[in-house]
Amino acid sequence: MSTDGLPPDAEPMRDRQLRTVAGRSIYFDWEGFFWDPQDWNEAIALALARESGMEGLDDNQWRVIRFMREFYFYHGRAPKNKDLRKGTGMPLMALESLFPQGIRKGARRLAGLPNPKACL
Amino acid sequence: MESKRLIYLDNAATTFPKPKGMLDRMVAEYADIGVSPGRGGYDLAAAAEDALTKARRTLALFFNAPDPRRVIFTANATDSLNLAISGFLKAGDHVITTRLEHNSVLRPLYHLQQTGQITVSTVPFDGHGFIDPADIERAIRARTRLVIVNHASNVLGTVQPVSAVGDISADHGVALLVDASQSAGQVHVDMEAMRASAVAFTGHKSLYGPTGTGGLVLRPDMAVMPVRFGGTGVDSKSMNHTMDFPHRLEAGTHNLMGIIGLRLAVEDLQAEGVATIHARKMKLTRRLVDGLTSIDGITVYGADRLDRHLAVVTVNVDGVDPMDVGAILDADFDIAVRVGLHCAPLVHADLGTGERGAVRFSLGRFNTEADIDRAVDAMARIARL
Repeated sequence: MSTDGLPPDAEPMRDRQLRTVAGRSIYFDWEGFFWDPQDWNEAIALALARESGMEGLDDNQWRVIRFMREFYFYHGRAPKNKDLRKGTGMPLMALESLFPQGIRKGARRLAGLPNPKACL
Repeated sequence: MESKRLIYLDNAATTFPKPKGMLDRMVAEYADIGVSPGRGGYDLAAAAEDALTKARRTLALFFNAPDPRRVIFTANATDSLNLAISGFLKAGDHVITTRLEHNSVLRPLYHLQQTGQITVSTVPFDGHGFIDPADIERAIRARTRLVIVNHASNVLGTVQPVSAVGDISADHGVALLVDASQSAGQVHVDMEAMRASAVAFTGHKSLYGPTGTGGLVLRPDMAVMPVRFGGTGVDSKSMNHTMDFPHRLEAGTHNLMGIIGLRLAVEDLQAEGVATIHARKMKLTRRLVDGLTSIDGITVYGADRLDRHLAVVTVNVDGVDPMDVGAILDADFDIAVRVGLHCAPLVHADLGTGERGAVRFSLGRFNTEADIDRAVDAMARIARL
């Protein structure tokens, strides 16, 4: 059975959204990634972690977050997969387990890096 | 997880590595004749034109096409499909296509639909990843002028029954455009047997040619009009673009080095044999599918009929974002795969993976059993996270 017409664009709204986190009004993208990485601070990262069900952020998690931010601002881009492994001294499997929401939605989002470009 | 050589399993995007002999011969030949083909009266320009003609003949034979002059060189399959769609369709036409298509078909059609120029019907695929040709026949209307079918899905790897679609299309006097982006070089693409009016292909996938090469192969019954105009080296006095093939659809100087490479790649492929290579890859694909389906927490899509399949396997790991799976495979296991929607949003929507996509393994002619075993082992470890 055929369907008439190609379906209307199913693309989700990809506008930025303003909301208040840890007392500051910040723009996030459609998946909760910071619109501007400069808006990030530790209090906001902690608030976002709690929003996603974490009790807080431990030393290992902070170490990953700090590495990601330092790399991003030094190189002007997010660390590639192998940069992340080398820079954190951690296999990415371990990093996936370290953040309940994984590498992208967990570590990268909490570090305030932009949503990665992807075929989505 | 020590560092080893990269296991490249993203061949459905671009095959890698390319045969080194082809690359060396391509550069050597281009170094000898790399001038503007057919422009100018000197012998070297004629030699460059001869190289294009030779490539057209090689490709016409490869696709069992009737006329080498209707082998049109393009930059890639997307370029070919846009040319065919925009150059063939007229206002008021109706087009039938499938939900297995790549954005290189969907987006040009969507643009024409949204600007009110054409209407489009889509046919579904079944739980095994195949369309039913009878659905195509039922969708034909008085204004139907073109059917477009993806010969093989770039997400599922399933090879579609295009000959049956070709029979239906021909019986109703409707042109059939086959997207052979994935199939060309993996299975035989025979225009006559498929009764296809046009075949779009790319050079950089399973033909093992360079990027920036591709083509649109036409039968005389498919009258594609130019969508780009300019210098052709013929009829230069006229302000009208020539209607002669192949110049009608080729404006500007060709990618001569790439086209030489494409011809050499096809010759190289034929020397080993498309069927021989495919049989070897499908044996590895069976090994991969068996390995992945034995792992708890992994869902394999559309791989239960490997007799009509390319060496493509798409999966998801329960509870792990496909993008994270790809990152882990790359960083921890030196395995390159493609994650996301694979530019085929309707396929993923129907699979229920429209939000985050999936992880695609696509094999090439240089993969080995050891590569597959490492991939399965890596996926087993990721699934235990």
